Amino acid sequence: MGIEDAHRLYEAFVEQDPAEAIRVVEDVRASGVAQAQLFDTLYVPAMALLGGAWASGEIDEIVFTQASVIAEQIGSFVVPPAARQDTGVTLVIGTMQRDHHTVGKDIIAAALKESGYRVNDLGLDVRPAEFLERIEQTGARIVIVCAEMLSVAHSVVRVREMLTTGGHEDIVVLVAGSPFDADPALARSVGANGVLHGAESALRVVGKAATDLSGGEAS
Amino acid sequence: MTKRSSQVLMAEGLARTEQVTAAVEACYDALAVDDSEPVAHCLLAHLLLEGDFYDEAIAEATKAIELDPDCSPAYLALGLAYDRRGGMWDQSVLVWHELAEVVPDLVTAHVQLGEAFGAAQFEEEAIDSWKCALELDPKEPRAIYNLAIAALKREGMATALPGFRKAGELDPSQDDLFFALLGIKSVSDRPVDPAKVREDRSSRLGAAALAARADDLFVTAELVRMVLDEDPDDADALALAAFAYLKQEATNEAMACALRAIALKPDLATALYTLGVVYSRRAGLSKHAARVFIVFTRAASQHALAHVLLAESLLGLQRYGQAKKAYRVAIRLDPACVRARFGLAAVHLTEGLHAEADWEVRRAAYYDTRRQGSFWRLYDHYSEGGAS
Repeated sequence: MGIEDAHRLYEAFVEQDPAEAIRVVEDVRASGVAQAQLFDTLYVPAMALLGGAWASGEIDEIVFTQASVIAEQIGSFVVPPAARQDTGVTLVIGTMQRDHHTVGKDIIAAALKESGYRVNDLGLDVRPAEFLERIEQTGARIVIVCAEMLSVAHSVVRVREMLTTGGHEDIVVLVAGSPFDADPALARSVGANGVLHGAESALRVVGKAATDLSGGEAS
Repeated sequence: MTKRSSQVLMAEGLARTEQVTAAVEACYDALAVDDSEPVAHCLLAHLLLEGDFYDEAIAEATKAIELDPDCSPAYLALGLAYDRRGGMWDQSVLVWHELAEVVPDLVTAHVQLGEAFGAAQFEEEAIDSWKCALELDPKEPRAIYNLAIAALKREGMATALPGFRKAGELDPSQDDLFFALLGIKSVSDRPVDPAKVREDRSSRLGAAALAARADDLFVTAELVRMVLDEDPDDADALALAAFAYLKQEATNEAMACALRAIALKPDLATALYTLGVVYSRRAGLSKHAARVFIVFTRAASQHALAHVLLAESLLGLQRYGQAKKAYRVAIRLDPACVRARFGLAAVHLTEGLHAEADWEVRRAAYYDTRRQGSFWRLYDHYSEGGAS
């Protein structure tokens, strides 16, 4: 991949030849350039050439506009994928029984989904048995239990007990919510393996748990 | 026209010229003569609110409403006093609801009603109120920011972020940032005539920028072309062309010009701004936008909005901690930056810090309502005898 490929793409833009533009992209991809790199290594220099050609008067306003239309069509071939790749990691999340707070759980679930996790959201007011059932259905090895009230937070221990009774001692139980933020010892007392302090913390801790579970291979 | 005593008229004059202490004294003088004048109580409530004396403002506004239930500026002062004081959401909902009935086209009333509903945990009613505000003014940024926060609570940041960006694009302060980089503060009264612009690069570029400020993008294009015809490698002209294309939603042309400008002058703030905005509008380019805005914040470090743009691109990468730092820098530079306040509120929500998020939304409302100056509009209309 060199500047000549960017020139070829630029020429395809100016000639209004989308088929040739796609061919250039495919050739560069076939030469070993990763999808995530195509934008920077091919598209950006070609667009800079286009801007330069317009500035120098080499192409007029109409050609500039028509070339930009082709550039738009090619954009989806070179832009890095918006959604993160599927991590293959399944997890279960829900707000504990007798708790109807939803915001914290929803934000964490959305952040994990966006990062490529397969999230099974059980919603609000979830009984411990429902966590167990969904874990057995999906094969998830990570469960996130949210609780925003202290009395409910104490009852998260029932989830751990239910998992142990069901023969799932190895499931990673992570907890989230204000009571756990305020008292780190509370998480240990309910048998949790870790505490999530919001969405970014969830991404970090779940990523580490997934890596540990897979023996250090997955994210 | 509502009859006003000479003392009230004097207080009004002082208040309009921001002589707050003297205006308060004049109000008390007016009330000493006749304490049944609703306008005097209403004006005093407004002045006390300006001084952040919330309980006193509530008492005076309540008195004005007791004396005349149609005194719309008193409802505004009362609602703002409740909201700024905090912890009185039930009363706040009633007041804003009343004002929205009395003055149905007052956008602020619907936005504030939504925030009061939200604070009282009536999420659906809050969303309806913000939607109502947007029906009245589709560009009302605070209603859009609030809807973005509501989307964050329900569906996460990926759904909320476009709302923040949309509000930002509608917000004229984003254009202000670009023109501030060029040293242009306000729109010129006189249109730019290309035939009268001196035939040197500096004059042409200056006039092109002034024309862009006045949204006269044809004149901008004409003058930029003249500069580029003499020197196709003029990075400043290319950056201005990029902005003009961006304003016309021609994002690929904007990208091409900005990239060429940056190839010629890598730290050119105006080109970095446009390129960053183009990248931030395209799915999958959050990382690129963040990279550009990091360089941009170095080139425009004293502009709050530069840090906001960086923060928003970091939100797209789920780098909430870094976004928080950037928002804090923005708020330190400009405490009245509503966009930064709402962004920081969003970050707090991702951390489970709900009280802190509510605080930032309230501070945004505080600065925004002060900036709007809706009180005098209602006051004048009421004083002239309008029902509202």
